[in-house]
Amino acid sequence: MFRHTMLFLGYELGNVRRNPVWPLFGILQPVLYLLLFAPLLTTMTKGGTLADALRMFTPGAMMMIALFGSLFTGFTMINETRNGVLERLAVSQAWRPAIILGRVIKDVLVLIVQSLLVMGVAMLMGLRLGVASLLLMLLLMAATGLFATGISYGLALAVRDEGGMSQIVQFFALPLTLLAGMLLPISLGPQWMQTVARFNPLYYSVEAGRSLFAGHLSDSTIPIAFGLFAVLGVLTLTWAVRSLRSLAG
Amino acid sequence: MIIEAHDLRKTFVARRGRGKTEKVEAVRGIDLTVSEGEIFAALGPNGAGKTTTVRMLATFTAPTSGTARVAGHDVVKEAAKVREKIGYVSQAGGVDDNAPGRESLLLAARIAGLSRSQAHTRAGELLETFSLTEIADRPVKTLSGGQKRRFALAIGLVNRPPLVFLDEPTTGLDPQNRANLWDEVRALRDQGTGVLLTTHYLDEADALCDRLVIIDHGMIVAEGTPEKLKREVAGDVVTLKLDDLPSGEKLLAAQPYIKETRAEDDTLRAYLDDGEHNLPALLRALESGGLAIRSISLARATLDDVFLRHTGRSLRDAA
Repeated sequence: MFRHTMLFLGYELGNVRRNPVWPLFGILQPVLYLLLFAPLLTTMTKGGTLADALRMFTPGAMMMIALFGSLFTGFTMINETRNGVLERLAVSQAWRPAIILGRVIKDVLVLIVQSLLVMGVAMLMGLRLGVASLLLMLLLMAATGLFATGISYGLALAVRDEGGMSQIVQFFALPLTLLAGMLLPISLGPQWMQTVARFNPLYYSVEAGRSLFAGHLSDSTIPIAFGLFAVLGVLTLTWAVRSLRSLAG
Repeated sequence: MIIEAHDLRKTFVARRGRGKTEKVEAVRGIDLTVSEGEIFAALGPNGAGKTTTVRMLATFTAPTSGTARVAGHDVVKEAAKVREKIGYVSQAGGVDDNAPGRESLLLAARIAGLSRSQAHTRAGELLETFSLTEIADRPVKTLSGGQKRRFALAIGLVNRPPLVFLDEPTTGLDPQNRANLWDEVRALRDQGTGVLLTTHYLDEADALCDRLVIIDHGMIVAEGTPEKLKREVAGDVVTLKLDDLPSGEKLLAAQPYIKETRAEDDTLRAYLDDGEHNLPALLRALESGGLAIRSISLARATLDDVFLRHTGRSLRDAA
């Protein structure tokens, strides 16, 4: 089981290594936000410096790649439902969950590297971050990515159509982004928005990220976010693995 | 027997919108026996249920009812054991387009349980066998259809299976590549590997297989060696175009050497043995009957004639 997961992971990482450009494109959006949007927030934040603005804004910008980047990873699998790759693997000796797990772990590893790069840019711009905060943030990104990639592979196997899947992802991504307070904290908004946001899991990961960046490591948002995404990650991954069965009709 | 299937059936439930469903009986009771090391073909038009049958035997799809044993194991209860013993090359091929073919081959070898060095050795052998060594490190999407198909075949053979399923192996290939693939399939048999292939090409089944079944509408309509099936129809077939087709058919059907006649649109097919010697008699009969012949040809009976006899239509029209 573990051996097969590692085999698929190794294969997927080989593909990333041969074509490392795409993950780099993925971080363009958050980096642009850091460069061109964070400076607008300096007057709004307490302290009023760019470093303060970055402390508030960077976790949200990072969660964008955890959400958008991960939600789109499933697209590659839609092609594999048609070109016979999954069909072949399904009748091979492969342990079936490994087919999904190998890909998901690859996606999470890519996400961690992307996160490091984005945090590196933020630090170059003046953000200060403790080692514990940085490591926990990477872990939080991984947990959020696990949840989103699980959804993405599950959707890909359920919908099996690029057009339909991109509509679904677009439909959910923007409200989830706005109601998680990725750009600006939800606490700035009216009460009803704050209430609705509590039903959005990403709200908790953004809030936990802000607590980590602010150095409030004992904040309750952090264990809540980790607990939530551990559960959601397992659920979405299980769904994705089960969706593999539906291939056979 | 490497394959023993009894009364295999598969019914799909297709959604037809607004909560309505429709049952599609793709396979309606198929019995098959294939022995070790033979090339066995399932011939039939598109949509006949060939692919569904192969998918059930290869453990991809569970049958709705019926049982099948492949390489001595039940395809439902012992699917994992069956999977160790088979190679499966789907119609789509199943080679990752974005990676070099060598990588797909190595991954398949490792999944089959080979160590890293064994996998490299096995991949090397297969690349050599299928003349793929030169192009093994190019992304598969840059390769031709024939090259991709050879990679698919190589991947299907990575675990040295005693049985390989080839679903429409030559569809979309040019004649040259088709001929090459036929040679490769024959080479498999020479090494003792059994092959179950599906095809809608008559000449492919005729040229390649030891035995075949003809499948139509999810059922087997004929089974045997190509020679036996063709002999049941007749050795030869005379194809005629006449001005007065009905009287022509009546006249020929009454001749003692004609086994069967079949009129289709504006052509009449008359089945007979020893066509070369009986053709003059046939011509005389038509002349004495005062029937004008617009065209006439004599040919060996093909599997299409077998298909026509059992289904009432030509395989060329059936697709």
